[in-house]
Amino acid sequence: MIDPYYLQQLAIGLSLGMTYALMAIGFTLIFGVLNVVNFAHGEVYTVGAFAGLVLISALAPPMMAVLFIALAAGAAAGFTLERLAFKPFRRFTDEASLKSRAMRESTLLSSLAVSIIVREGLEIAFGSHMQSPPVQYLINTPVRVGSVVLATGDFIIFGVSAAMLIGLQYLLTRTRVGLSIRAVSNNPLGAKYVGIDTDRTIIMTFVVGSMMGAAAGILTALYYGAIFPAMGFVPGIKAFVAMVMGGLSSIPGAVICALILGVSESMATAFLSSGWADMVAYGFLILTLIFFPSGLFGAGRERV
Amino acid sequence: MSASDRKTGGLLVPIAIALLVFAVLPAGLAAFDRGYFYQVANVAMIFVLLSASMHLVTGVAGLLHLGHAAFYGVGAYTAALLTTKLGLGFTWTLPLSGLVAALVAFLVALPTMRLVSIYFAVATLAIGQMLYLVMLNWVDFTKGPNGIIVTKGLELFGFSLSGRLASYYTIAVVVMLCIVAISRLSHSYYGNALRSIREDDQCADAMGVRTIRLKMEAFTLSAFFAGIAGALWAHMTGYISPGDFKFSESILILAMVVVGGLGSLPGAVIGALLLILLPEGLRGMGDFRNIMVGLVMFLSILFLPKGLLGEVSALRLVRQQLGAAWRRTDNGIGIGWR
Amino acid sequence: MTHLLEIDRATRRFGGVVAVNDVTAHVDEGELVGLIGPNGAGKTTLFNLISGFTPLSGGTVRFAGQTVNGKRPSQVARLGVSRTFQNLRVFPNMSVFDNVSVGAVGTLPQGPFGALFGGGQRAAQISERTWQALEAVGLTHAADELAANLPYGRRKYLEIARALAMQPRFLILDEPAAGLNDTETRELAAFIKRLHAQGLTIMLVEHDMNLVMSICQRVLVLATGRKIADGPPDVIRKDPAVLEAYLGVEA
Repeated sequence: MIDPYYLQQLAIGLSLGMTYALMAIGFTLIFGVLNVVNFAHGEVYTVGAFAGLVLISALAPPMMAVLFIALAAGAAAGFTLERLAFKPFRRFTDEASLKSRAMRESTLLSSLAVSIIVREGLEIAFGSHMQSPPVQYLINTPVRVGSVVLATGDFIIFGVSAAMLIGLQYLLTRTRVGLSIRAVSNNPLGAKYVGIDTDRTIIMTFVVGSMMGAAAGILTALYYGAIFPAMGFVPGIKAFVAMVMGGLSSIPGAVICALILGVSESMATAFLSSGWADMVAYGFLILTLIFFPSGLFGAGRERV
Repeated sequence: MSASDRKTGGLLVPIAIALLVFAVLPAGLAAFDRGYFYQVANVAMIFVLLSASMHLVTGVAGLLHLGHAAFYGVGAYTAALLTTKLGLGFTWTLPLSGLVAALVAFLVALPTMRLVSIYFAVATLAIGQMLYLVMLNWVDFTKGPNGIIVTKGLELFGFSLSGRLASYYTIAVVVMLCIVAISRLSHSYYGNALRSIREDDQCADAMGVRTIRLKMEAFTLSAFFAGIAGALWAHMTGYISPGDFKFSESILILAMVVVGGLGSLPGAVIGALLLILLPEGLRGMGDFRNIMVGLVMFLSILFLPKGLLGEVSALRLVRQQLGAAWRRTDNGIGIGWR
Repeated sequence: MTHLLEIDRATRRFGGVVAVNDVTAHVDEGELVGLIGPNGAGKTTLFNLISGFTPLSGGTVRFAGQTVNGKRPSQVARLGVSRTFQNLRVFPNMSVFDNVSVGAVGTLPQGPFGALFGGGQRAAQISERTWQALEAVGLTHAADELAANLPYGRRKYLEIARALAMQPRFLILDEPAAGLNDTETRELAAFIKRLHAQGLTIMLVEHDMNLVMSICQRVLVLATGRKIADGPPDVIRKDPAVLEAYLGVEA
């Protein structure tokens, strides 16, 4: 019989992994459509958490409303981000320019700059200390399942994430928007030629991806009870790691790797102090970059 | 006129700078005699060095480096640990810090240098974070978040240089020497080879340039200078902690180079001065410093993609571009990059 | 007698496509050889195989007796092979002089210590080579001009100067006349002939038949990855296989 402690760690790891997965999907969608790394993705996570916090402090609404507001905030943030940090650099719409190294580096830098602005702005508005949502909103009440003690949050996170994943799947395969996203990911120029509005598609991608990131943010905030302006940075990195491990262009790959990452991290915490837990992600990243150029599952990285 | 002939303004500019740094400024500092001014001057000089070292790796060789502060940290910790554990003085710690930082960079670069640019950038980010985590968590060795108190100040072969003016001059001399070295590296045929890697590394390869080797050299050299800056910092402030070397510092240094203009050493220096002195000048906005960094970086990428003094040429070209943009009344947004 | 460049059953596969299929050819020292063929025949791929840009899927390429297989482009360059590019790759943000100097410093390397402590000798050598190359193409007056600001035709010469600064034994020109008008093409032809007369071994890919037939001593013809002809221009001109490849005519 496996020690219940490890099962609990596994459950925690899976929850963590699901939140990483939500973030990773956002990254993957944006990367697929624009071929750029969105450095500001971590901030939509933070925005989601703070939006929830603000709402709770102001109105004390039911849980669903909190989630909803977080999603809305994420969507708005994603939209703004795209308009500010990415659109201005798409001056040339031919494929060579879209994929050019200079453009990728300048959007990397500009999204980096925006992420700094957002993070610092939140710090000025809310202070840099850690804040906690009121106890009644926290989703970490223990739940006994046999000899294992889980938290309500584990189920909620799992449920919400699963719902979002299904929703995403539906969006991508059954709707026009999803179709255009897939088309633009595959061939931006070709998509333009068949009449798809690439600009709108890119906006939609950002909106959807950021919504998922914001959901991850609010869920984690309610699970751990810790909200602070810099909270999005590290999950953002980990989501990126999951994306790279998954092979960059593969959503299922990113999700699986995010789960692997979450579980590895929580297992590592069982043996090492929590400060070192982040090393797991960085270590995975380095190893993947060096030894698995095509990711663990994916279609590979192109030569720039 | 060859690259080596094209010294900015011949001999006049270096002499003017030397006068400013070694005569005018110290005179002013001594006159006002406020510790705060000395502090600002010293910090500014250290960051000028950091920015210049970043210029070498990112501006000249074109390697986007997101973990530079970590090597600065390696240098600082080397100096601090050598002082506290082995009792070595600045005379020893200065070169050793540079060498250790360079060594760490070399080891890091070995497996990662073949990565394509964006992935190399991400790898540098991860490395920087890993080094930071080591500084934070290996408490037995680095004292973790408590930091290390550096018991010895600046000195030369036992001769103490920790007075205000002496400190200033020491830092100024070291920084100036390093800047001269970086300038020589940058404005040479070697520098041209590095630039060709930035411009088109496949093509540079076809011209016989040993791209992987040169990239590693640029990366290692820049870490060397960052390590030196770390030693200066450790002995000047007397206290270091991991927070001095986290990711946001790397971004600050990157912003200095980007704002000043990729590929331009004077630009990197000006970028450093701008991003250190401006927030100090607006002291009341203390908390806003980081936001300003982000804002300045963002605006400069958007409107002055070549930075203030970008490689492409001097302000002349920038004015040319601005002038052209003003003539086009596109959508009234004003300045736009064409 | 050993040839300067030996291509021995060279093959290059990209997934299902065989871009270069079992090609055997050679170039001797001092020759001026043309490489022609319809679009997609594999000409640029062959160049990439020779210069180390693309690895071989099969066969061998030997230059000056040394195997090229598995070598990086910079290693092949240092053997004495230098090239220009079909889509004109100059270093846009560097001056003309600096561009050309990269060719020189690739083969006469100056390391960081050389740069720091001024081994003036190496710098002087590089400088001299760079000026020589600039003079050869007539760009000395534009030395300080930014490469991105040069007109298209001049940039072609810049690329050639950069390749010449390597003082190669073998120069590969990938569609040098692309985008040039008739006058410019004639000037280019004369220029290439001059280079050849000075003893440089040259191989060029071109679509402009007049250029190829007028200056090349020998012409190789590729079609769908295979070599279909190899001989002096007059013979190639009338070769039925060549005609068929280009015109689809059964002669």
